Amino acid sequence: MLKMNRRTFLQVSGSTTAAVAVAPKMLAAMELDGGGKDFSPVNYAERQAVPITCHFCNIQDGAVAYVENGRIVKLEGNPEHVSTRGRLCAKGNSGMWYTYDPDRILYPLKRVGARGEGKWKRITWDEALTEITQKLDAALKEDPNTVMLKYGRNRTGGAIDRFMRTLGSATVVNHTSVCESSKKIGMEPTWGPDIETPDFANAKYILNFGSNIMEAAYFHNPYSQRLAEGMAENKAKLVTFDVRLSNTAGRSDEWIPIFPGTDGAVALAMGHVILRENLQDSDFIDTWTNVSVAELKDHYKQFTPEWASKLSGVPVDTIERVAREFATTKPATTYTYRGPAKHLYGSYNEKATMMLPIMTGNIEVRGGYCMPRGMGWPQPQPEPPKPAKASYLAHPDEYPLAGHKVSHLTPFWIAEGKQKINVYFTYQDNPVYTNPGAQAVWGKLFRDEKLIPFYVSMSPFMGEETALADIILPDCPYLERWEPESMPNSLWPWLGIRQPVIKPLGEARENRMILRDIIWKLDPNGSRGMKQYWNFKDGEDYMRQHFDNVPKLKEAGGLDFLKKHGVWPIYGKLDPATGKIVDKTGRTIEPEYGLHRKEVPESEMAGTTVGHDGVIMKNGKAIGVKRKGRNYVGFPTHNRLINVRVDQWAEYGFNPMPTFKQIPWHKDMKDDELILTTYKINVHKQSRSAAVKWLAEIMHSNPVWMNTETGKKLGVKTGDLVRVESKVGYLVTKAYVFEGIHPKVVAIPTAFGHWEYGRLATLKLKEKAGAFGAQDDPDLKNVWWEDRGVHPNAIIPAVADPIGGSQGWYDTVAKVTKAGPDDKYGDVQGYWDKHVEAFKETMRYAYTGDLHRKMHPEMASWAGPESVKHKPAGGH
Amino acid sequence: MQMKTIQFMPQESKTPFIPEDAAEDCAARAGIYRLLSGAFAEEPGREFLAALRQGPALAALSEMGLKFGPDFTDSPLDQLAEDLACEYATLFASPGGCPPVESARRTGRMQQEPCFEVRADYRRLGFLVQGGRFASFDDHLGAELEFVAALLGRAEAAARTGDETAFRRLDKEIKRFWSLHLGRWARGYARLVARATEHSFYREMARLLESFAEDEITRMGLKVDDEDGRKIEPQAQETEGLQCGGAREVAAPQPGSELPASLLAG
Repeated sequence: MLKMNRRTFLQVSGSTTAAVAVAPKMLAAMELDGGGKDFSPVNYAERQAVPITCHFCNIQDGAVAYVENGRIVKLEGNPEHVSTRGRLCAKGNSGMWYTYDPDRILYPLKRVGARGEGKWKRITWDEALTEITQKLDAALKEDPNTVMLKYGRNRTGGAIDRFMRTLGSATVVNHTSVCESSKKIGMEPTWGPDIETPDFANAKYILNFGSNIMEAAYFHNPYSQRLAEGMAENKAKLVTFDVRLSNTAGRSDEWIPIFPGTDGAVALAMGHVILRENLQDSDFIDTWTNVSVAELKDHYKQFTPEWASKLSGVPVDTIERVAREFATTKPATTYTYRGPAKHLYGSYNEKATMMLPIMTGNIEVRGGYCMPRGMGWPQPQPEPPKPAKASYLAHPDEYPLAGHKVSHLTPFWIAEGKQKINVYFTYQDNPVYTNPGAQAVWGKLFRDEKLIPFYVSMSPFMGEETALADIILPDCPYLERWEPESMPNSLWPWLGIRQPVIKPLGEARENRMILRDIIWKLDPNGSRGMKQYWNFKDGEDYMRQHFDNVPKLKEAGGLDFLKKHGVWPIYGKLDPATGKIVDKTGRTIEPEYGLHRKEVPESEMAGTTVGHDGVIMKNGKAIGVKRKGRNYVGFPTHNRLINVRVDQWAEYGFNPMPTFKQIPWHKDMKDDELILTTYKINVHKQSRSAAVKWLAEIMHSNPVWMNTETGKKLGVKTGDLVRVESKVGYLVTKAYVFEGIHPKVVAIPTAFGHWEYGRLATLKLKEKAGAFGAQDDPDLKNVWWEDRGVHPNAIIPAVADPIGGSQGWYDTVAKVTKAGPDDKYGDVQGYWDKHVEAFKETMRYAYTGDLHRKMHPEMASWAGPESVKHKPAGGH
Repeated sequence: MQMKTIQFMPQESKTPFIPEDAAEDCAARAGIYRLLSGAFAEEPGREFLAALRQGPALAALSEMGLKFGPDFTDSPLDQLAEDLACEYATLFASPGGCPPVESARRTGRMQQEPCFEVRADYRRLGFLVQGGRFASFDDHLGAELEFVAALLGRAEAAARTGDETAFRRLDKEIKRFWSLHLGRWARGYARLVARATEHSFYREMARLLESFAEDEITRMGLKVDDEDGRKIEPQAQETEGLQCGGAREVAAPQPGSELPASLLAG
C-alpha cells in the first residue's frame, strides 16, 4: 500500500519541483493571453472579432469589437496595435452603447414646430436630399461661400473638405479654437509639428504643465502606459504644475499649485536659471536653432524667478530647484496638453514651455521631447480644386496667425454680418454645449432664422445643437462606419482603419455616404462637374482608393490587411508579462530617434544651394541644413531649424522671442474674486458621452471644487449650494470643498448638465410616463441618481488668443457666494448682450485692436497693422 | 407489428378540430392582427386612413368599443395624415419616444436578442422582413403582428383543406411566438402608448392592442408575464449620504453617549 496523506504529498511535491518545472504543459490560462480572442460565457463559442480603431474620443486606440449572434457584445484593446498595446479605457469599453442607444436618431427628421420645440416628422432620404439640394442650389447661385459646414470631430480622412470643395465653398470651420489651437500655433512656427511626442517610458525627468495625462489629456491611454513605465521602471521623476490636484498631479512626485495662466512665466524663469547657471546645451542651441546662446542668455535675463514667483505664487527656490533638476537630469521632457495654451496669449505660454527641452538639448533623444510620427494616405482621384474665394469665417482677417481658425467667435461675426450664411451643415459638433457662451450664444444663433436660414445636422444623437436643426440626417456612430486613421500617439507610426462591425441600424448612413448622396442629387448626371469627385460605391470602396496603393502596405495586402488586423505595420507581439511589444527575438522594440539628424540623400543634393546659414535650398524650398560638414534634413520648418525667434510674429507686432503676458484682468482681482476653470474627467468626453449608460452611472454630476481656505472665507462647506457669477452670467451648483485646488481657483468639469442628448443625459426620467419620460423604459428606470450636474459654459465669456486664436477657457474671473433663497440647483443664466461685450473686448487684443500695442511695449518699433505686407497661409 | 406510443409528456387537451370554425376563427383574428400591424408599422397613409374612416369600418370599430375623437373622425384627411405622421415620429421614431420595437422595450437597447430570435423564427417559417417606406427592425411590433397574421392565414388554409396536423403545428407556432415575444411586451406597451399619445387614433389602437392581446393570451390558454410597463417600485438611494471616497456621513454622537450614532434612538 502506498502512503496517501498530506505529509507524503508535501514531501513529494517539494522534492519534485525541478522535474515539474521542465515537464511538458498542455493547458494555458486564457487570462494570461494577450487578448484578441473572446468567448461566449453561455456556450463558450469563440466570438467574431473585428479589429477597429476606437473613436469614442480622439486618442484613436487600437481596439477589437466582438460580435455574438449579430450583436456587439464587447470591446477591448487590439494587442497588435503598437501604440495602445491591447489596452482600452473605460470609455472605449463602453462604445457599443452608442450603437444601441434607444434615443438614437435612426431616420431623417424634419422640424415641424419652431426651432428647438422638439416636434419632428420622419421623412425619407429622398425627401430630405431633395429639400437640402434645393436650398443648396439657391445658395450656390448666390455665393458658394454662403454654404457653411462646421465640424467638431472630423475623422473622415478628407471627405468633409472634398464635399465643401466640390460645392466651391471655403466656409469650413472646425472646433480647434476651443481645443488646442494655441498649442499648435505656439509650436508650428518654432519646430514644424503641432504637437510633441514625449518619450515618457525612457525619460528620467518629466515636467508636466497643466496636463492630466493619466486620465484625460491627449493621448491618455498610450501615454499613461508609458508614463507609468517611466516612473516605475526607469525611476523617472514627475513634477506637475496644475491649478488643481488632478489624478495626474496626485500621482506625481510633486504637485506644484500655480496661479492660472502663469505657466509660461514659470517656464521662462526656469529658462533664466538654466542659462544663468550655464546648464544649457550650447551645442544643440548653436547647431539647431536660429539664435545663439549669447542672444538667448541676454533675452532671458529679464525673466527672473522673483518676477515669476510674484505672478504664479510658486516659490523662488522651487522654480530654481526644478530648473536645475530638469537641466541636469538627462533625458528629460516636458508635456503641456493643454493647460498653458488655453489662455489669452496661450501661444506665448506654449512657446515658453517648449523652450525648456530645446535649451537643454532634449529634442529627439531617447527619453526626450520628440517630434510626432504619423503616416499619410493618398486621396481618391480626381480631387476637387480649392474654392475660388476665401471665407472670412474660415480665416478672419484679424487673426492672420491663427492657422487653425477661431471658430468660437463665429456667432458674433455672423451676427455682425461679416459673412452671410444660407445653408449651415454641422457634423459631430455641439457648440451649443461645448463653446463659450453655450446656449446663450450658439443657441441664440441657431434659433435666429434670419442669421441661419436653413440648418442641417448630420448626427446620430439629439444633442443641444441638433435639437435646433431644420433637418437631421442620421449619421452612424463609430462602430458602423469606415474611416482611415493615423495618430501620433506613440513613437511608432501606424496606419489604421475603422470598419463597420455591424450594418448601420435603421436608416443611418455613414457621413461620406451622406455627402456623396447630396452631391449625386445635386449633379445626377455629372453635367455640373461635381459627381466625378464622388466616384465610389460605398465606404469600403473609398477605403480601397486610400489604402490599396500605399507602398509596402500594398504588398502586405492593402485594405484587406487592415480589415484583418486593424493596423499596419505590426511591429511585434504583445508580451503579456510586460505589456510591451517585443520583436521575434523577444526584445522590446525601440523607436527611431534623431529624425532631424537623418541625412539628405546624396541623390537629392544635385541642384541645391547652401546659404550662409547652412540652409540647403532646392527649387526655392529648404530641404535640409548643413552642419559640421553634413547635410541633415533638420526640422520641418521653412529654414529646417528650430525657430526660437519667429520673425513672422514680429510682422504683426507680436514678440518674436519667448515671452509672457499676464492676463490684464487677472492683475487687479479683488479678494472675493476667483478664477473659474474647467476640466475633463476620465470617463467622459466633452459633450457626447452623457448618454452612455455605463459611464453615466460612474459619473453624472460635477460639483464646483473649492479650496478649504476659500470655503472657510465664504462660509461654504461640501454640499452647500453656491452661486458662481461671471461678467456674462451665473449658475447655481453644489460645492466640493477640499485641499486639492489653488485657493484662488474654482473648477467645474464639463460633460454634465445636459438639457438635450436623450433621456439619460437630461435625466428626464421621473416625469409623466410616456413620451419624453423614461420611467417605462426597461433600463432607464434603473437609474438611481437624480443629479445630472450643471454645465458652466454659458457663464464663460469668449476670449481669443490674438496669435493662436484659442479660447481662454481658464481666464474667467468669477465671484462665488452662498446661494440665495431664490437660487436653485441647476440654475444657469448667460446673457447674449454681455457675451457680445466680452467678444468686443477680446477683439481689442487682436493685432488690429487698440490694446495690442499697449500689451507689447517691447514692440514699439512695429509700424502698426497697416505695415503688414502679406497674410500667411492658413494651417490645417 | 404495432408500435406502442411512448408518452414523455402529458398530452395537451385539444379543442376539437372543426375545420370550418377553425378557418373562420383564423381569418377573423388575422384581420385584427393586420389592422394593428397597419396602425403601428409606420405613419398611416391617406388610403389607410380613408378606408378606416369609411362608415362600415368606423361602425364596426365603434361596435367593438373604440371611441375615436374628432381629431380622427373630423379632421380633413390630409391634415389627419400630417398630424398622425408627427405623432408617430414623436411617439415612435425620434429620441425620447418609445419605439415599438421588442428589443428596446424589453432590454432598453435597440437590436438585441429578441431581434435576432424573431428573425430566426421568420426565416425558419419562410419569411423575411422587408422595408416599407422606411427600413426597420425585425422585432418591430408591426412585423411581429404581421407574422402572426401570416401564420393565421396559413392555418386558415390548412383548416379549409381539413389538414389538422398542419393546423395544429401552426397553432403551436403562434402560441410559442406569443409566449416568447408578443406576450412579453405587447400588453404593457399598449398601455404605455395609450397614456403617452395625444391623438385618439393611437390611443384607441393601443386600447385595441391591449384588449386583443389579453384576449389572444386567454384564448390560447397561455400564461406569460408582460415585462413592459411594470409598476415602478421606488428604489432606495444607495449613495445617499455618501461623501468623497464613499464614506457615509454620520450624525455627530449625542453628548454623553458612547453608542454609535446609528444606534441612538430618535
